[in-house]
Amino acid sequence: MSFEKHTVETFAKKHDITRQSAINKLSKLKKQGKAIVSGGGKQKRIYTISNKPIPKENGFYALVNKHSPEKLTPKFTHQVNKNYTIEHAIIDGIKIGDVRTLNATKHLFNQIKNWKRLFDLAKENNIKKEVYDLYSQAKKEMKVKKIPEKYDKHKRSKSTI
Amino acid sequence: MINTKDQKALFELIAKYLQKNITCIAIGGTAMMFSNYKAATKDIDLVFKNEEDTKEFVKAIKKLGYEQRSLKGVYDEKRQKAKSKPQMYTRGQERFDLFTKNVFGYELDFSQENIMQRNDFIEKQQLIIHILPPEDLVLLKAITNRPADFEDINTILKYEKIDWKNIVKKAIRQKQNNPWILHDLEKTLQELKKQHFIKQEILELIYNQ
Repeated sequence: MSFEKHTVETFAKKHDITRQSAINKLSKLKKQGKAIVSGGGKQKRIYTISNKPIPKENGFYALVNKHSPEKLTPKFTHQVNKNYTIEHAIIDGIKIGDVRTLNATKHLFNQIKNWKRLFDLAKENNIKKEVYDLYSQAKKEMKVKKIPEKYDKHKRSKSTI
Repeated sequence: MINTKDQKALFELIAKYLQKNITCIAIGGTAMMFSNYKAATKDIDLVFKNEEDTKEFVKAIKKLGYEQRSLKGVYDEKRQKAKSKPQMYTRGQERFDLFTKNVFGYELDFSQENIMQRNDFIEKQQLIIHILPPEDLVLLKAITNRPADFEDINTILKYEKIDWKNIVKKAIRQKQNNPWILHDLEKTLQELKKQHFIKQEILELIYNQ
């Protein structure tokens, strides 16, 4: 997919139209899903324009970039149905696996709502150890939700002594 | 025909009937719809990693009333007799063409690095559908060579600048698995040359094999 980035002024200049016409045209493109806008307020509005509707991202990268100060550039467009959760995103982050992605994924441990779901998914994907390792690293570096005793393997292994 | 909204609803429904998580690659019209190149398709083309995943998906769509049908009338004789031909399932209007591992000998790369888009349908289980870059979609359309495939290639070319060299190199790498891949690609390129600018050096790459 090819994208063009424009401000209102550069768009007007390119199409040889007035500023108001450019605003109107960009508004129509937004309604068609062919333009997305970023910035606004103190920042200059930048329009990303495509020649076909831009798929809406609501998956892993949208979730991570919402919660992590370390932002990621998507390696792929990720679209999900309504049931994609923080726990799914942690699993996906571990499976993508590069350093930047893992660092950003750590921040999701402060947003967990369902530890059972996380560890069930980890078991299904055979990455329980990786989840524990990432959690341990995250705990040292940032604020994270406290892991319930039931799932805390350190407390569980001590209690068997 | 099935449109984008109905296709998504169908995949959500199938995810409810799966007994395990499945990852597959969408090609053809389905991939074009996910990529917003078009709004409807006659057939849903999916490629699975292994036989087990294909069987699991078939079990789920059979529960929805899909029945197997023959490839006659859709694929030519050469493709009907090919080892890696698809299984076809239909329930009237739309149709599933289900491939396993490869598409008429053309092996697909299931690794994360190769995907352009990923669509997750999470219900009881997870149905993950990967979409490949446009070059792969064009090459696969040249291989499947169904009546509407050439029109679809033209549609992709309206939106994308295609790296033809990349396509030819991919085809050359796979010619041992699929002896007619270069012939089919050359035929498609000759037709496309009538409407689009494709350098002769691209065709020379094929002729020099």
